[in-house]
Amino acid sequence: MRLIDFLKDKFLLILLHIFCMCTLGIFLHVTGYSFSNLILIEIFWLLILGTWLLVTYIQRYCYFRQIEQTLDRMDQRYLLGEMLPDSYRLEDKLYREMIRKSNKSVIEKIHQIEDEKKDYREYIESWVHEIKMPITSIALTCENRRRSNVEELRTIGLENQKIENYVDMALYYARSDEVYKDYLISETDLQEVVYEVLAKNQGYLIQNQVQAEVDCPDLVYTDKKWIAFILNQMILNSIKYRGDTPMLKFYTIKQEQGVLLALEDNGTGIGESELARIFEKGFTGSNGRSHERATGMGLYLCRKLCQKLGIEVWAESIIGKGTRMILDFPISSYLSKL
Amino acid sequence: MYILVIEDEPVIRKELKILLENALYQVTALEDFDSVAEQVIRKKPDLVLLDLNLPDVTGFDICTEIREQSEIPIIFLTGRTDSMDELTGMLKGGDDYITKPYQAPILLARIAAVLKRTRISETKESTVLTCHGVHLDLVHTCLEYGEKRVDLSKNELKILHYLFQHAGEIVPRLDMIEHLWENQVFIDDNTLSVNVTRIREKLKSIGVTRLIETKRGMGYRV
Repeated sequence: MRLIDFLKDKFLLILLHIFCMCTLGIFLHVTGYSFSNLILIEIFWLLILGTWLLVTYIQRYCYFRQIEQTLDRMDQRYLLGEMLPDSYRLEDKLYREMIRKSNKSVIEKIHQIEDEKKDYREYIESWVHEIKMPITSIALTCENRRRSNVEELRTIGLENQKIENYVDMALYYARSDEVYKDYLISETDLQEVVYEVLAKNQGYLIQNQVQAEVDCPDLVYTDKKWIAFILNQMILNSIKYRGDTPMLKFYTIKQEQGVLLALEDNGTGIGESELARIFEKGFTGSNGRSHERATGMGLYLCRKLCQKLGIEVWAESIIGKGTRMILDFPISSYLSKL
Repeated sequence: MYILVIEDEPVIRKELKILLENALYQVTALEDFDSVAEQVIRKKPDLVLLDLNLPDVTGFDICTEIREQSEIPIIFLTGRTDSMDELTGMLKGGDDYITKPYQAPILLARIAAVLKRTRISETKESTVLTCHGVHLDLVHTCLEYGEKRVDLSKNELKILHYLFQHAGEIVPRLDMIEHLWENQVFIDDNTLSVNVTRIREKLKSIGVTRLIETKRGMGYRV
């Protein structure tokens, strides 16, 4: 609150005083008061008015600064109504009451939405667990008849796996806001995780004539399941946008502050203009539109989960040559001491 | 090896049984879920596959009951992918925790790992395979024929190992590739051909010709 703004706000009051001062001056002049006395009275008047304005300004200034500071410190600003400082002024009291009421309805609304969201998320989770039963049945049924060389069963198995992947995406999306509930940080052998993800996608990868090289001897501290999910999305992307003789290379690079896990492919690559945006939600770029239908969710989820896990993720790419996805696992001095 | 399957979903139970039987395990699947723990202990299996969500009772409770009397290895199978559940499973004394939908190779590998951990494997595979007078030495990764020997690469060894195991049969290329992927050799069709050509050259160098036959459109045969 600047002084000039305050004075502008009090403009009517000041105008009234000036009017009264003029009237009094004219009245005293007409009744024969000497000019010097008249000036003295007016000066006193001005002094009193000025002091009063200044004191009020300082009071108001402090009051609002206090509110502003409270607001800045607050985590949930919509709760301001409960935090307003006491004030003897009627207007302040009235406003306080109104803000409080308005906040209350916001809070109720928020609670309602949170409840609904929670219900929905819980439903998605239980639905995912239910749907996994039939998916498992189908997977096992196909697997058991794999040697019978029925082409249709292989196809069903592969399609079933796509369903599984989409279901997984829904689950991880539902969970991505509350990672802390589903966290099991342990010493993780990246080699093992990569093997597991490759085994999981074996059918799909072989069908697409993919070769892979794995060289990940380094250990990191992280949640295995989440990393497997992230790698899975990246592998599926590499296959979706593959080149003629698809080749996947997984390797780790040990650094001073952490371990890098890289997944390199020789696929179509991503243009420089799009590279920065691939982790955005719903972004499907030119590759996404010209190849299989892309949802723009896979990499978005990857980055979101990485943020929650404290991992940095980025991509490097040359169009026509391939893409390299990099996960940066920081080594926490705290964890490594344990 | 005797495995007991405790799973209430009939289709999964049936297929799981077939899968394990194909992998040469002896399998019983429980169909009655009253006093499961007692049944388990009476049957004395080498390993228990335990579903978490059973009618009226959770797998955790059953695990606790079994653990009171026995140290039978237990692997949890579940559709839930919650870390808390996994942790609870481990704390209750489970040996492993596999989430549905499981990939058959992963499931079998985990079962084998738990069995290996809990007891010394009874069936020791021989380390030298022989076919038409050619010896494949798995320990020294080499081929021997008469007095001559030639070293093999990791990939070549795995290819030959599979062929020698199925001596006399036609091994389809796709089966071969799948087997290699299950053994952490991730190659494609062309690379397989390249590897087989290289093996043939090595065989030639120790005086063996026409050991590996190519059946056009079908696969390889030793």
